[in-house]
Amino acid sequence: MTAGTPDHTLGPPRRAPAPRPGGPSGPRRIPPALLVFAVLTLCVAGCANVPGGGRVVSGKPVERAEQVDDPYVRLIPVRPRPEWGPEEIVSGFLAASASFDDDHKVAREFLAAQTSWRPGLRPSVTVMRNREAPRVVKQTATQAVVKVVGDQLGTIASDGQYRAAAEHIEVSFQLGRTPQGLWRVTGLPDDERAGLLLTQVDVERALRPVNLYFFAPDQRTLVPNGIFLPVVNRRDLPSQLVRALLNGPTSWLYGAVKSAFPPGTHLSGEGVEISKDIATVDLSKEAGTGSVERMSAQLSWTLRQFSEIKRWRLRIGGEAVAPKDMNVTQDVRAWEVNAPDGHEEQVTQSAYGIGGSGFLSTLDGRVPQPVTTGNAWRLSRPAVAPDYQEVAGLTSKGDQVLTAAPLTGSPTPKPLLASSRRGGRFTPPSWGRDGLLWTVETAKDKSWLWVRQRGRPPARVSHWGLSGREVMAFRVARDGVRAAVIVDVDGEPQVQIGRIVRDARGAVDVGSFLPVSSELLRARDLVWRDYGTLAVLGQKDSDTQALPYLMPVSGSAITSLGVGSLGEPRTITAAPGSPVLIGTRASNRNLVCKQRSPRDQFSEWACDIPATDPTYAR
Amino acid sequence: MNAVKRLARRGLGTLRRAVRGVSRRGYQRWRRSIQVRIVTWTLCISVIVVAILGVFLMQQVSSALMDGKVKAARLQLDEGLAQVQRDLGNSPEDGGGRLDAVVNRLKARSGPSGLYEVYIRDTSDRFSGGRATNELREESVPRRLREELRHAPTGSRSYTFGKLSYVGRESRSERGLIVGGKTAQFELYYLFPLEQEQRTLTNVARSLAGVGVVLVLLLAAIASLVTRQVVIPVRLAAQGAQRLAAGRLEERMRVRGEDDLARLARSFNDMAANLQDKIGELEDLSQVQRQFVSDVSHELRTPLTTIRIAADMLYENRDTFDDPAVRRSAELLQSQLERFESLLGDLLEISRHDAGAATLDAESLDMRDLVLRTVGDIQGLAERKGSRVVLQLPGEPCMAEVDRRRVERILRNLLVNAVEHGEGEDIVVSVAADRDAVAVAVRDHGVGLKPGEGQMVFDRFWRADPARARTTGGTGLGLSISREDAQLHGGWLQAWGEPGAGSQFRLSLPRVAGAELRGSPLPLVPPGAGDARPLFAELEAGE
Repeated sequence: MTAGTPDHTLGPPRRAPAPRPGGPSGPRRIPPALLVFAVLTLCVAGCANVPGGGRVVSGKPVERAEQVDDPYVRLIPVRPRPEWGPEEIVSGFLAASASFDDDHKVAREFLAAQTSWRPGLRPSVTVMRNREAPRVVKQTATQAVVKVVGDQLGTIASDGQYRAAAEHIEVSFQLGRTPQGLWRVTGLPDDERAGLLLTQVDVERALRPVNLYFFAPDQRTLVPNGIFLPVVNRRDLPSQLVRALLNGPTSWLYGAVKSAFPPGTHLSGEGVEISKDIATVDLSKEAGTGSVERMSAQLSWTLRQFSEIKRWRLRIGGEAVAPKDMNVTQDVRAWEVNAPDGHEEQVTQSAYGIGGSGFLSTLDGRVPQPVTTGNAWRLSRPAVAPDYQEVAGLTSKGDQVLTAAPLTGSPTPKPLLASSRRGGRFTPPSWGRDGLLWTVETAKDKSWLWVRQRGRPPARVSHWGLSGREVMAFRVARDGVRAAVIVDVDGEPQVQIGRIVRDARGAVDVGSFLPVSSELLRARDLVWRDYGTLAVLGQKDSDTQALPYLMPVSGSAITSLGVGSLGEPRTITAAPGSPVLIGTRASNRNLVCKQRSPRDQFSEWACDIPATDPTYAR
Repeated sequence: MNAVKRLARRGLGTLRRAVRGVSRRGYQRWRRSIQVRIVTWTLCISVIVVAILGVFLMQQVSSALMDGKVKAARLQLDEGLAQVQRDLGNSPEDGGGRLDAVVNRLKARSGPSGLYEVYIRDTSDRFSGGRATNELREESVPRRLREELRHAPTGSRSYTFGKLSYVGRESRSERGLIVGGKTAQFELYYLFPLEQEQRTLTNVARSLAGVGVVLVLLLAAIASLVTRQVVIPVRLAAQGAQRLAAGRLEERMRVRGEDDLARLARSFNDMAANLQDKIGELEDLSQVQRQFVSDVSHELRTPLTTIRIAADMLYENRDTFDDPAVRRSAELLQSQLERFESLLGDLLEISRHDAGAATLDAESLDMRDLVLRTVGDIQGLAERKGSRVVLQLPGEPCMAEVDRRRVERILRNLLVNAVEHGEGEDIVVSVAADRDAVAVAVRDHGVGLKPGEGQMVFDRFWRADPARARTTGGTGLGLSISREDAQLHGGWLQAWGEPGAGSQFRLSLPRVAGAELRGSPLPLVPPGAGDARPLFAELEAGE
């Protein structure tokens, strides 16, 4: 080819002799044509191969967040065999009931014809840590009673809400012999009439934690409501999820959040149909009275948990509707205004801490920059208000809550609350995004929750669900509806989440605390990293000291954060889109640690900011 | 209802006619055109070749794809089995959870796009049929593969192709490759959907089909072009030859280039030139001969007149000769002179025809009158020979524009011939007419004609039997002149005969002088005489 090209371009003028006068010049034109043909043939022959070189093609990095529609594993059930005895029938039934295929068709084969049992797609589930092999306690020729014992971890209600309730349980199954001589279950335990008895492994395999989104009382922020949903078929999952959303919040968040869907709204037609990244949600005409914008926000946030849905359309009563100033086809990421963390969190914010001289300082660089002047403060665990107008903190002993305003100049901290009980302490104050300041006064086996609206004196919350326990930390989520606590349960600090309900008269109820994870043992400090994750200082099984962990609120597995020596971590702070900061004490110096590369979860910790008690305002 | 039926029938008929017409036209084109034949054959053969090639290529591509897939799948399976061995060993305590975790890990390597599904079965677990990823149904693993694995030793691997079915997609199952292997306790199957491969194959097949169609059309076009290059000169040559045959001797082909076709054209032109020269020479020669005959006839006439006068005188005075031999000589001279005169007349007549100087003096006459008069003329001769002339005349007049003299001469010739060869049998003269033509047939029952003689009778100086006695003194030119006369009218003179069955001569003339004759009102073969293969010559005047 390289030899041919110059020949081809220069050939005709050089090669062709001057045409003879009057002679035919036709045959003289053939060689260049042949040459062109040869070059073309070579080119085509070259193209028919797999490319051996060429330019570099690059693509965007894939965000591998955990998605609801990730691949999953299904259990294949086994039909009862004729030779099986009562124990085996019960074992087979319990194993088969973990499979949701074909509406538990195989599991129902274990039942006698007259036994009705329809768990459906949203069954109530008893979750067991382990289950001993079934045991026959009574057997005659035609009847038998089989007992199953095990440790219950908790229950999942039919609305998907998990409730931890550890206890030892014992259930018994009645069995009978059919005329054909086969053992079949004739009587289910009372709790299992419409539910399932599954082990933790079964639940992890067959059910998936998902979030439903509802509006906080401020009508602007969305609050995630985690539920467990059986994965039967990834195709039906969006429909199931939207149905769950239309059913409203679970009992845990009931009353604390509001749904924009008018009562009676249901999915019509085929449910949620997905074609080419676009989902179509077909709501019944009852939805016509609701606010399209607010319903869209809830649906967008709920549907964005599916990797295959990028955009979606809302139809009400068969007609496509569009929110104000938007297309009919909306992006699932369109409603950032209603983000549970607030929508301005993407801007990297300054961290605050107590600098070496005791001043409140920003921790942006290596050296803390004081923001206040004047006398040194005796303030620890500061918390800056989200509007940067006020700072709250504790005295070094922790028995008083101090506030100081404004943030610039030389304000003097003033006491806000002082513990009147013996040994009483306050948890580090926590600001809600609505400007409320929360703190828990706690003593051994007792605690009281205080809340202060700016300009008013602090008030004690009348309904406080943990009043009988010692509370080590109390943090309000950015949505203002959920609160995470570290509570002493039988001598073990445990991370729990509760919800805040305000009734019409303004009375506040903080309660319904549920354990988040049983993996972490001694929790020491915690903070909301974003609406789905807590950053926790605590110890796992083999840890000798507290280490930072990321704990998903949904109850999924916790993951460690960063590597390297941290000294003796004491406090932790985090904010969406900002690096996690840890206040530590190493070789008798107070330092603040930060990951070298905050975007990488396993990047190394670097402790080189001389400050204590880091905190973010929002 | 009936109208509809009629309409339908008519439509059907039209369609059938159209189809038949098209097929007939196609067949005709097929018969007549080399180009059509060659293009059609090229099309047929190239379609077959391209089809075979396409199937072969598709098989190659398909087997290459499948080979690659199978190889990758087996590697994947090996890796998966190794992991199962490592992570589960032979006795998983807390079986479920660890099994789930292993399947999850195996599946995670498939990536989010789902290259394959995994199905694993713990053979020691009686209460579960194993674990499958996503919506995969257990039935996707065919029974034959399971049986194969069950009887195979530990660590063996097998694969097969089958149909994958999924929960929630009952109606649609897709083809897939299934590889399976087993450790001591576990059976592990990887199921690869072949949707992507199917799509690739479909695309390749589609492109191949497109390329094939283009290729076939291209070949047909090339064949058409090439044959055109050959056929056009051949057609030109055929046209030239036709024109040459039609007498346009100056016709020549155009010579272009130096190739084979140019050589053909040149040879053709040489041939044409030679022919033209030869024909010119022959024409000249023939002209000279005719002129010679004509001149000789004319030149003979003058001395003949003198001889005639002398002979007449001798004949009239023959009684005065004493010697009977001399008297006999005078009589002989007289008769041979008459014969000589008529021969000379015939010669002149025929040379007039040859020179194209014969003219038609047509008038409208009734053929019956002509026949009656001629029969009257030869009645005496016939009676002498013992023949009876039977007339079959139509009742109405048979008018035709004819030259009385020539037609009478023809009829006389025919009748004299019939009497002469009639062996004393009856002679039948029939006249008939239709819208366009009139015909006269003269039938005798004499010796007849041998095969091939039907045409020769019209040759000059031809005789049925050279040894036959010349009783009537025919010149041997009579039928020849008769035929020329008939042709001058635009009519036909034809003969039929069969040995022993006699013969029949038919004269057919158009009613209007110079009109084209399409058929004759009388049959050439007399009814009752013709057998399956009548020996006759159909000599048409126009040829």
